[in-house]
Formats: sequence, C-alpha cells, structure tokens
Amino acid sequence: MSDELPQVWIDETKLRKRSRRDFLLFGAGTLAAMAGLWWIAPVSSKKRVLGEHVTDALDTVAARVGLSKDRSERFQNRALTFDDDIAEALYSPNRTVRTYSKRDVTPLRNNYEGRTPSPEYLDMWTLTLTGLASGSDVVLRQPDLARFAQHEQVTRLCCVEGWSAIAGWSGIRFSDLLRAFPPAGGAKWAAIESSVNLDGRGNPDPYYVSIDLPTAQHPQTLLATHLNGHPLGTDHGAPLRLVVPMKLGLKNIKAITKIAYVVAEPRDFWAERGYSKYDGL
Amino acid sequence: MDSEEPIVDVPVVVEEVAVAEPVVEEPVVEEVVDPHAGQRLVVNKHHALVRLSHWLNVPILFGMIVSGLSIYWASPVFLHKPDRITHSRDYLADLGIAIARHVPGATADPSWFYNHFGLGVFNLAGGLRWHWLFVYLFIANGILYLLGLILGRGYRALLPRRTMLGESLAMVRYYAGVVPMKIARRPWPHPEITTKYNALQRGAYASMPVAGALAIASGWAMHKPVQLWWLERMFGSYDGARIVHFIVMIYFVLFLIPHLILVLVDGWDTMRSMIVGWSTRVAEAPNE
Repeated sequence: MSDELPQVWIDETKLRKRSRRDFLLFGAGTLAAMAGLWWIAPVSSKKRVLGEHVTDALDTVAARVGLSKDRSERFQNRALTFDDDIAEALYSPNRTVRTYSKRDVTPLRNNYEGRTPSPEYLDMWTLTLTGLASGSDVVLRQPDLARFAQHEQVTRLCCVEGWSAIAGWSGIRFSDLLRAFPPAGGAKWAAIESSVNLDGRGNPDPYYVSIDLPTAQHPQTLLATHLNGHPLGTDHGAPLRLVVPMKLGLKNIKAITKIAYVVAEPRDFWAERGYSKYDGL
Repeated sequence: MDSEEPIVDVPVVVEEVAVAEPVVEEPVVEEVVDPHAGQRLVVNKHHALVRLSHWLNVPILFGMIVSGLSIYWASPVFLHKPDRITHSRDYLADLGIAIARHVPGATADPSWFYNHFGLGVFNLAGGLRWHWLFVYLFIANGILYLLGLILGRGYRALLPRRTMLGESLAMVRYYAGVVPMKIARRPWPHPEITTKYNALQRGAYASMPVAGALAIASGWAMHKPVQLWWLERMFGSYDGARIVHFIVMIYFVLFLIPHLILVLVDGWDTMRSMIVGWSTRVAEAPNE
C-alpha cells in the first residue's frame, strides 16, 4: 500500500512495552507543560481562565513545590537577558543603520509616557557630564553644543510597541562629545538622565536609560538638536535628545540633563518595568 | 471414506518413515503455519524526534501566539477608521467584540479579544518576555523536527510529486462531497491513496516547516532590523516583516482547524501513531 513505509514484524511484548513508555512520557510531558505554562502565566490571565479561588489554590500548591512567583520572574528575566546577549553579540560597530532620503520622512509620534514638559525648563537648561577622566564635572549650555561639528541623518526610529517612523535628525555626534570630554578609565556605560520628565499627572518623574559605550561611540549615535530641519520642540526632547537608531525608541531619551560615565551597568527606566536592558536592534 | 481398514495398516509404514526424518518435518510445518507468533505487523510512521517536536510545538506555539497577541495589541497593523460605537480601529478587537456579544456575561469591549486569546492588554513587557522565551525553544524545536525528518526519512513523504495537482483535486472533490453524500446515504469512496499522505496532507505538512522558517525570519527581521538589515530588506520593509509575521500566525491557526478535525475523524490509530510512532493502519486495512 505504501511506497514509503516499510512494514515490520515486532514482538507484541516489545511493542507493548515501547508504547507504554511513550504514553507515559507523553502524559508526563503534558503535565509538565501545563505546570510550566501555569508557572509563568500572568495572574490576570490565570484568574480569567480558572477564577480567583482555583487560581489562588493552585498558586499556593505551586509555591509549595518551589514554583514561586519570584522564581518565575527570575526565570523569565533570564530569557530576556539571553536575548540581550544575542543582540549584543550581533552588534557590530562598523555596521551602519540604513539611512533614508528626506522624502521618506513620516510623522513622528510624541510618545512621552507622562505629560510633555512645558517649555519653562529650556531657559535654565544645562547638560552635566560626570565620571570624566579629568576628575571634575562639566556643565554645558546650548551655545557650547553649537561649537561641535553638526551632522545630519535620516533614520528610522523603531518603538518597542511595534510602530516605527522615519525622521531627519541633526546635532552633534556622541563620539565627538566623548572625544572632547573623555570618560574616566574603566567606564563602560553612560547613564543618561532627564530630570524634566513628568508623569501622567504632571509631577516630576525623571527618566533614565543605560547606554553601553560602544553604542555611544557609533558614528550614527547623535545628540540631536534638530528634527526635520527645525529646532526640537518640547514634544521631541528640546533642546537635546539622544538618537540611537540601533536601539529601540525607548533608549532615545529626550531632554537630556545629565550624562554620567560609570563602570557598572546603570539602572534603566524600562528595564525596571520588565523590559529588556540592551534593546539593540 | 469407505476404506477405513487399510489406513489402520498404513500407520505402521508411516511410523517407520517417521523414524527416519521426524525432527526435521514437524518444526518446519509449524513455522509455515505461523512464522510471526506473538508478533505484530506494523509500519514505523513517525521518527521519535518528529513525535517529540510535534508535541513540543503545542505549548511552544501556544506561548508564541498568546504572547504575540499581547505584543500586537500595543500597536496593531491592520487598522480602519474608528468605529462610531466601539471606537475600535483594530480588526482583531472587532473580532473580539463580535465574539463577546455571544458570550454570556462578557463585556463586548476592544480589550476582550486580547484578554481572552492573548496575555491581556497593557502587558507588552510580559508578552515580549514570553515571546523571547518561547522563540528560542521554537527554533530549537524546529531543528529537532528537521533532524527527525532526515533520520527517519520522513522528508520523502513530504516531497512534491508530479501527480499532486490531480490528486489534490480528487481530495477536494472527496471532502466537498463527504457530508452531502452521507446525508443522501450514497456511497462516496475515499480516493485511492498509495502513499503515506494524500496530496493535500503532503502540501499542508510540507508547508509547515516553510511557514516556521518564514515566521522566524520575519520575526528576526523586525527584532534586529539594523544588525540583520538584509533580512528586513527581504521582506521589503519593517512593516512588511510585521505583516508577513502576522499572516504566518494566522496560517498556523487555520492549519490547526482541519488538522484537529481530520485527526479526530481519522481515528485512534492515526492519533496514537504520533505518540508511539507505529501504525497498524497500512498493514491491516489497506486503502483506508
């Protein structure tokens, strides 16, 4: 009947033994998969499926056998770290981000998490650099930035949410700033902060990201002052924002007020909220 | 019958002969009658790695899809003008509203679909974490599957053949008629299949590794569009990769529907063969 399947005679006892083993493995695997999915599933989803009481009871049993919520979080964060390590291994300082022509520019959404800061801060704005080789901090004002060579690029900004936009940026290269004010020896990270960010109610809610120095040194990493030929508005991070097109949009911090060069990986606003730390595209 | 007497005499002669070659004669006769006593004729249908990866795919694809929907929720691709009543712009949310209207006790709002088929709304971080966890398992599992196909030679049953177009049409005709003919109580024989799979099965099963590869490629194209820029170019654009990724997901879901129906209709042997590997179907009931 079949041209592909050779027929074979097998001892009944052997066949029965083999099949029993396979069925037991199948059952054990099914139970393990269900337990595993339960362990890592969000509580809200579990309650939606089985209701509050059953969920609480099963979670108690799971915690007793070591499948606690804490461990689940740590396990899932390891998956994120693994993916970050892959991203870091893929990164090449010589690989440039695809650039577009000005005709390709698309509208850019203001994706501030909270309220957009009102422009009052602009008059008092300064950029503080710390962790420098010189040992003392440096405070820069807008005219200081104008003295650096200006660069222009049209690149795509990819948001972690899934949307993306093409925008023309101009400003100074981060690498030029690093050359002018070199970090202290041993520094591996830039901790970049914006003290003017607000939460949804309009209260101060500083934003901070971690940027590894190899990324900061990339020729397409800009400290941008202009968007599509116009000075940045407060909606896009006036007067100075980071443009790292080789990272997700959430690393492109707006209205930077401080850059600290540090040895250990600094904290990152979204990494503390369950997202990855590296975010390399 | 009427010569009972002479036979009584004969055994004397036979006994004499039997002394000469009795040991050889009797065992040989027994072997011819039942050469496979205590044995069963089966065909080895699925290699152990194929079975393992097939079942591992169930929780893995489940994890990929439910987390993928929570990721999709953060920025849907397929949008229309806002609905006047629901304010929804998203076709998937509309689907959820349509389903929820028929579910007792459910509130038909745009979040219903993502709350019941995904990991919930406002859960992008959780969705991404699941997605990266399961995608590496999905890739590893795909490699296991391909390994099993090669080692068990199962790939040969998936290769396209010259007769596939005609066979496919015969199968489509058969499936189209199977219910009406049952109602009409008229015989409706299954087309004669002399291979492991019929042409439709072959096409569907062969498309699975292709769809899997496409899902992985389009996924990486949008995950690492800078370092893997050539992959993004392959899909035309960043959004092109998103659309392909989404369509492949729908393809997986659509594949599941006939897959589940047909395995239930086809019977226990087919289901069992994916667990134990062997089948008696081909040996005992040819042309089923």
